[in-house]
Amino acid sequence: MLDDFEARHPDLSVESQQLTWQSGFEKIVLAFASRTAPDLCEIGSTWVAKFAAEGALRDLPESPERLAAEYFLTEPGVLNGNVYALPWLVGTRALFVNRSLFEEAGLDPDRPPETWSQLLAAAGRIHALGPGVYGFGTNAGERHVLYKKFMPFAWSGGGRILGEDGASVTFDSKANLDALRFYLDLAEVSLVEKQAVLDQVFKEGRIGMMISGSWNLKSIPEEAPDLDFGVELIPRPDTPEGRHVSFGGAEMLAIPAESRRGEAALALARFLLEPKQGWRIAREVQSVWPSSRKASDGAPPLEPGAGVFLEQMETARTTPTHPRWVELEDIIDTHLERALYGRSSPEQALRDAEAEMESILSAGE
Amino acid sequence: MAWSARQRAGLVFSTPWLVSFAAFGLFPVLFSLGLSFSRFSPTRPEMSRWVGLDNYGALVSDATFWQAVGNTLFFAVGTIPFTTGIALALALLLHARPPAGGFFRTALFVPTVISLVVISLVFRYIYAPNGMLNWLLSSLGAGGKAWLQEPSFALPAIMAMDVWASVGYYMILTLAGLKAIPREIYDSAEVDGAGWWDRLIHITLPSLRPILLFIVVINTIRSLQVFVEIVVMTQGGPLNRTLTMVYYLYETAFYKLRMGYGSAIAYALFALLFVITLVQLRVFRFGRAVGE
Repeated sequence: MLDDFEARHPDLSVESQQLTWQSGFEKIVLAFASRTAPDLCEIGSTWVAKFAAEGALRDLPESPERLAAEYFLTEPGVLNGNVYALPWLVGTRALFVNRSLFEEAGLDPDRPPETWSQLLAAAGRIHALGPGVYGFGTNAGERHVLYKKFMPFAWSGGGRILGEDGASVTFDSKANLDALRFYLDLAEVSLVEKQAVLDQVFKEGRIGMMISGSWNLKSIPEEAPDLDFGVELIPRPDTPEGRHVSFGGAEMLAIPAESRRGEAALALARFLLEPKQGWRIAREVQSVWPSSRKASDGAPPLEPGAGVFLEQMETARTTPTHPRWVELEDIIDTHLERALYGRSSPEQALRDAEAEMESILSAGE
Repeated sequence: MAWSARQRAGLVFSTPWLVSFAAFGLFPVLFSLGLSFSRFSPTRPEMSRWVGLDNYGALVSDATFWQAVGNTLFFAVGTIPFTTGIALALALLLHARPPAGGFFRTALFVPTVISLVVISLVFRYIYAPNGMLNWLLSSLGAGGKAWLQEPSFALPAIMAMDVWASVGYYMILTLAGLKAIPREIYDSAEVDGAGWWDRLIHITLPSLRPILLFIVVINTIRSLQVFVEIVVMTQGGPLNRTLTMVYYLYETAFYKLRMGYGSAIAYALFALLFVITLVQLRVFRFGRAVGE
């Protein structure tokens, strides 16, 4: 792929280093710390704000509005109206449905749940099928995951984490409380486990529904070819204004402030953002899509269910762009988990999380 | 100062080690000590600044930190007596030259040479809701659990694994200690009419004291730094019940990128280790045997 770029730009040559998911972030941080950062690097969407706020990234000549019109999930790259990173590869979550369990529970698999109450009712019916079968899969007991599962419900009811200005906490809200109560109800008819276990038990045909990523589109047919499953949009609140919101994450491309070849790096970034190049990677890495809103036009043949993910992408949201997001995320996870394990009431969990997040925000930096 | 040829040669030969130790051992240690008094962001090192004791002050009121301290101490106190005791018992059994002793010695030592990451991965499956442990329990008519998901069981489950994984190494050390005890002492004690129990209490254990001290001290140092098991198996959860000091420091420094605060946690751990080791050395030296 990089050869194509070099063919188009004969004056440039690109050297790339592939990093592993586990240690890649540490290596990038190290490169910044030792002032040996590359001219263009990939940064996870939740970290861009921190890097940008510290002046480690170059302000790109882009308008946030134009960018948002062309690409999904551009918000994480925008801080104080400036664009610091471009979304390259995006991913979201959707609802996986075990169609056989639906039939067993007397439900119509062609009419999957669209609203919260339908979801809860269906999960309850499936959960009642007997021990070892679970209505839903709820995440717990691992870091950096739970908020991705809860926030879609909160967002779809109009809830937020921070205010519009990004400087105030609005987590302790009626919408979030409704979402948390609903999520706890759902947990009652769930297997409460880590994502890898949920994916596994779903493949064993013992979970009715779960929210998970598109990596399953390939791994389920491979590992459980007999499983009759469907992919659906994440159910919305029963209220008329409720929407099917999901969680979105992006791998963003950013140019370190110290790069002396900013123009060339930007050219490379724009090249990589082309849907054609994005699809080349998306075919290899099953959990991501090209970020272009028009990517589906040039899409290669995709697995069944992929269309739902592309549709879900339209309403996928990212976490707030805040330099200290990773700390806020930890607070949200901690208190959601406390509620899930019955250590806090839902009201208390939201109140505690809000107070702790406020102390982070008021500390500045 | 004039150096003799011998001294110069010594210096030359130890220089490679001294240089590498200074660069990769001493420098990072001192650098992180400096970091613990700073606000340091790796993305912009030039923006770092001195904050005095702020990081340490924040530690004192950080409930999560104290939870990590509690979990870490619980881990150490809950594993070391078992590891040491079981290692001693196994060493005594093997020392009595049972049939197939060589086989058992090797089998018990094997976990030591397996990567802890691999062991942790295997145990994650053993402890899984439909894993081997629950299968075993249900075949015995007992109910199973999602061991690593239960707040009260996750840490003990990891501790049990740790005892299993490390006991072989300490058993070999104890066995070496046993073999070093002169046969004649036992012979003369037997002539004097000392039974098995008397010999254990009055000869074996006192003779083993240096090796047992060594075992307890290094096991303490190792246990207080427990990390790999946590990363692979629970990442500190559920409800931070398996959050250990090193895992908390790792999260703080390398995920939240709060390197200064992370370094303060590291030095708090160092202080804890230092004090505990000092106490252990004092206690074990107390009441030394005649002639020791």
